[in-house]
Order: sequence, then C-alpha cells, then structure tokens
Amino acid sequence: MAQALLNGMVSGMLIALAAIALSLTYGVLNFPNFAIGAMITTGAYLAYFLNAQLGLALAVAAPLAAIGLALISVVVAHAVYRPLRTDDPIALLLASAGVTFVLENAVRFIYGAEVRGFDQPVARPLVWQGLRLNHEQLVDAAVAVAAMIAVAVILKLTRLGRAMRAISDSPALAQVRGIDKGRTIDWTWALAGALAALSGVLIGLDGTVEPLIGTNYLITVFAAAILGGIGNPLGAMAGGLVIGIVEEFSALVLPTTYRQGASFVVLVLVLFVRPQGLAGVARFRR
Amino acid sequence: MMAYLVSILTFVALAALLALALNIQWGQAGMVNFGIGGFYGVGAYTAAILSVRGTDPLTATIAAIVVTAAASAFVSLASIRLRDDYLAITTLAFAEAMRLVMLNEEWLTGGSDGIRDIPRPFIQFVGGENYEPAFLAVCFALVGGVYILLERLVRAPFGRALRALREDDVVAATLGKEVLKLRIKAFAIGGAVIGLAGALHAFYFTYIDPGQFAGFVTVYAFMAVIAGGKGSNSGLLFGACTVMVLVEGTRFLKDFLPFLEPSQAAPLRLILIGVGLILMLIFRPGGIMPEYRLSVREWTPPTGKKLT
Repeated sequence: MAQALLNGMVSGMLIALAAIALSLTYGVLNFPNFAIGAMITTGAYLAYFLNAQLGLALAVAAPLAAIGLALISVVVAHAVYRPLRTDDPIALLLASAGVTFVLENAVRFIYGAEVRGFDQPVARPLVWQGLRLNHEQLVDAAVAVAAMIAVAVILKLTRLGRAMRAISDSPALAQVRGIDKGRTIDWTWALAGALAALSGVLIGLDGTVEPLIGTNYLITVFAAAILGGIGNPLGAMAGGLVIGIVEEFSALVLPTTYRQGASFVVLVLVLFVRPQGLAGVARFRR
Repeated sequence: MMAYLVSILTFVALAALLALALNIQWGQAGMVNFGIGGFYGVGAYTAAILSVRGTDPLTATIAAIVVTAAASAFVSLASIRLRDDYLAITTLAFAEAMRLVMLNEEWLTGGSDGIRDIPRPFIQFVGGENYEPAFLAVCFALVGGVYILLERLVRAPFGRALRALREDDVVAATLGKEVLKLRIKAFAIGGAVIGLAGALHAFYFTYIDPGQFAGFVTVYAFMAVIAGGKGSNSGLLFGACTVMVLVEGTRFLKDFLPFLEPSQAAPLRLILIGVGLILMLIFRPGGIMPEYRLSVREWTPPTGKKLT
C-alpha cells in the first residue's frame, strides 16, 4: 500500500512535468496542444541519441536534450503555429495533430520501432522500512522536483513569468501594458519544450524508450492538466501527482494494461463534474 | 490495374462517408470529433464480431450503426457545459480508451491479432470474381444516399439550428433552441454514418486489427473536410478524392526513393501527410469550396471632401 503510494508519487511527478508544459502553452496560446505526446517522445530520443550513441552521461544528455527540444519547439512555433495567424483553438489543435505526425514519424524514420533503453548502470534499489525505491525513481523524483521549483520561480518571480500570466489572463490587456507577446510566446514554447523533454527522458529512464511512449502518456497528461485546471501550471503539478497515484492504485483492481483507462475515467469525471479543475477558476463557456 | 483502381475508389468512398459524418458534427454543429478513428473502430468491430459469430450482414451493419451512434451520443454529453476544445480532448480520450479495449479484450476483439475471416456479405449471390466492383457500387450508392440525406438535413430547419448554435450557442438558446438536444442529435447522426463506414471497412478488408483505427483515420477525415471546405458536403467529396489520391500516391514514394528501407517508407508517408495537413491549414483554411455565407460588405470610408 505505502509502496504503491510511493511509486504513484514518483510516476506522478513525471506526468506532472509534461502536464505543466501542456498547461503553460494552453494558458498563453489558449489551445490544447496534442503534440505534447510527440514532444515527450522526441525529447526522450534526443537524450537517447546523446547518451547511448554519443556516449554522454545521462546527467549531461538530459539537459542538452531539454535545450534541443526547446529550440525545436520554438522552430515549430514559428514554422507552423505563427503562420496560421489565427487564435481559433480548433485550427491550432489540428495543426498540432499535424506536428504530432511529423515528429513521431521522424523518430520512427530514424530509429524504427524497436524498444531501446538508456545507457545507464543498474544500481541496487534502496530499501527503507520495507519500502523499495529504485535508483532511477530517486533520480526521477529529484529532477522533477527541481524542475517544478524552477517553473514555480519563473512563473512567480520573473518578468517572463509575470508576462506569461498576464497574457494567459487577458492577451489584449497584456499587450496594452507593453508586453511583447511574440517573445513571451517563444519563451513559453521553449519552456514547454524543455519540460516535455525532461519528462520524456525520465519516463524513458523509468521504463524504456520507444516511439509510442509519448502517445501512451497523452491521455494521462491531459487528465493531469485538466484536473489541475488547464492553463494553470501550478495546478498541473498537483494534478500530475493525483493522477500518478490514482493510476498506481488502479493497478490493484484493474489489469495493468488499463492504467490509462483510469486516467480516462478521471478525465471524464472532472470534465463532467468540475471542468475548471480542482483549483481552477472558471475559464470555460457554456 | 483495374483492381487497384477499384480498391482506391472504395477507399475514397469510405473516406467520403467519414468526411460526411465529420461535416455534420464539426462543419455544421461545430463539435470537434478528434476520435473518429475510435468510433470507426467501434463500428468495424461491432460488425465483425457479430458476423463472425453468424449474424447476417444486414443486421450486423445495423447493429454497427446503432452502437456507434449510441457511443457518439454518450460522448457528446461532454459538451454539456464545455468549450469546443474540451470535446476534442474527450473524443480523443475515447478513441484511446477504445484502442485499449481492442488491444486487451482478446476474448472479444482478438487483441493485437485482430479478427480475421470476416464473411463477405452476399458473396453467394455475386460470386467471387466480380465481388469488389459490386461492393464498390454498393459503397457509392450508400455515399450517395447518405449525401442526399445529410444535404436535406442541412437545408432543413434542423441544419439551420445547428449552424446557429455553432456560431453562438447562447443566442441559439435564447431563440428557444434546445442546444444540448441538438448537439447530441448531430453527434449521433454523424456517429451513425461513421458506424456504417466502419461496417463497410470490416466487410471490405475481411480482416481488422487495432492498428487500422489509429489517429491517421481522424486526420484523413479532417483533411478531406478542410480540403473540400468546411461545411460544404459537395466540396468534401472532392476533398475525400484529393486526400485519398495523395495518401495512395505517397505509397509510390519507395519506387522513387529506392535507398529507403521498407520500414522507413511508412513513417515518411505519415510525415508528408502531417506536413500536408499543416500546409493546408496555413494556405487554404477555407478549402476549395468555402461555405456560402452572407456577409455585410466591408465599410469603405466615403471619398471626397476631407472634413476639417
């Protein structure tokens, strides 16, 4: 029981990173970015390339992958989302489906469908009062917590964070106050890309690296972001933890192949009962 | 060659059905269905499971239509109090959930092996050699029937009410339209058409597995509707042809690029399809035949004497 809680919290943190990324782009750009799954996958493969093929230590490869995906995200934003010149969420989310096809299949094109793993020494799990914690889980949790603190600091204390929150509240008002919308959007994509990449690396570290890892987490990540109140990155952290724990406990009653099914149930329940999320303000219309 | 043409035209007919369904859900009622692949799978699996167990094809097809329509009506309840893009998330999640069921409920769906040897309906009357052209004719007849039916619906007060709530549901509600009821109906009608297409898919291929109902089905349907012009049924028939020609055309990529591994050709095709979707959204968001709409002429400032 306590073991399941612990495992759930660790996998919840991985989910939370991607959910924060999703919430950031939703808040600033006001559309659900379906490409978040493909971004997770791309991030994991960037790290795989640096780690297993170039022989860098994962501790170096992971931040480099985050920077790499941040750049890719900004390029995609300029190549795809900006030329659309629309704020119609549906057009943007269709475009993000196109981006998903391109990114995911680029990965498949280069690496095929085989299951891979990072080049990382195997270590003995830590045992404390009957609770087992893998080395990987410890790394996962530490990196995730550090990244979450960084995001919270950026959002609450920096100029960029204030600009993001201002645009998220009211784009027009933000621009009247002299906030450079284009630059803020670029930084939002960069931050989202970095977080998605980290999430991908950690998910790959926890399990394996394969082209579908992002897609397999897509519903989970959406459930977490919506549970936290979509567009609210700090809520997404909490949402991620809750979803992680729910999925872990669902494995006690459901076959493990239906882990995502638990997320689906949570997603539907939240949408029906409390669509603004647990902590969110109502930002939907009838 | 003839056989190949027939098979491509059959794909066009199936894509046209999906696009027609999407056009009433999204084009008319403004409800984004991002889980078409999943609903399509529900229809195909319903028909396949029933006919493998000996149900006659007509009943199996009707069952597929009813089950898919019911599933659509249920999922559309998510739009009770939510913005459009939440429905997109819910439908996508539904498709994912269906994928899990197809993959894991082996007693029912055969898991990743799928269902094979689905009996071809009425083959005893038609005979094996002319079966595919005959099937194509039936598909075309069904596309025609659905087209006429939906065109009539769209021009009826029902269609006007759908467009009204697409443009502004609050205004539609104040005019006495029952928004939720209309939405559920529109989604269920679309779902029925998807279910029909799914049943045809199962009967045509005689073999189905979960991989056939992935996200690309949804993307094809959206591309067909966007290419044709959202809201226009005649445009999307064009759109379905264009998309299927593009999709099938990219199959020949490997003949032009012989250095590709066979396992690389498929991802490359999907990359091109993704790029195609994005380019279409950027350069032709209104499609070939944009929906006819009345608009107030842009106000031009009167020329002449300048006011001082």
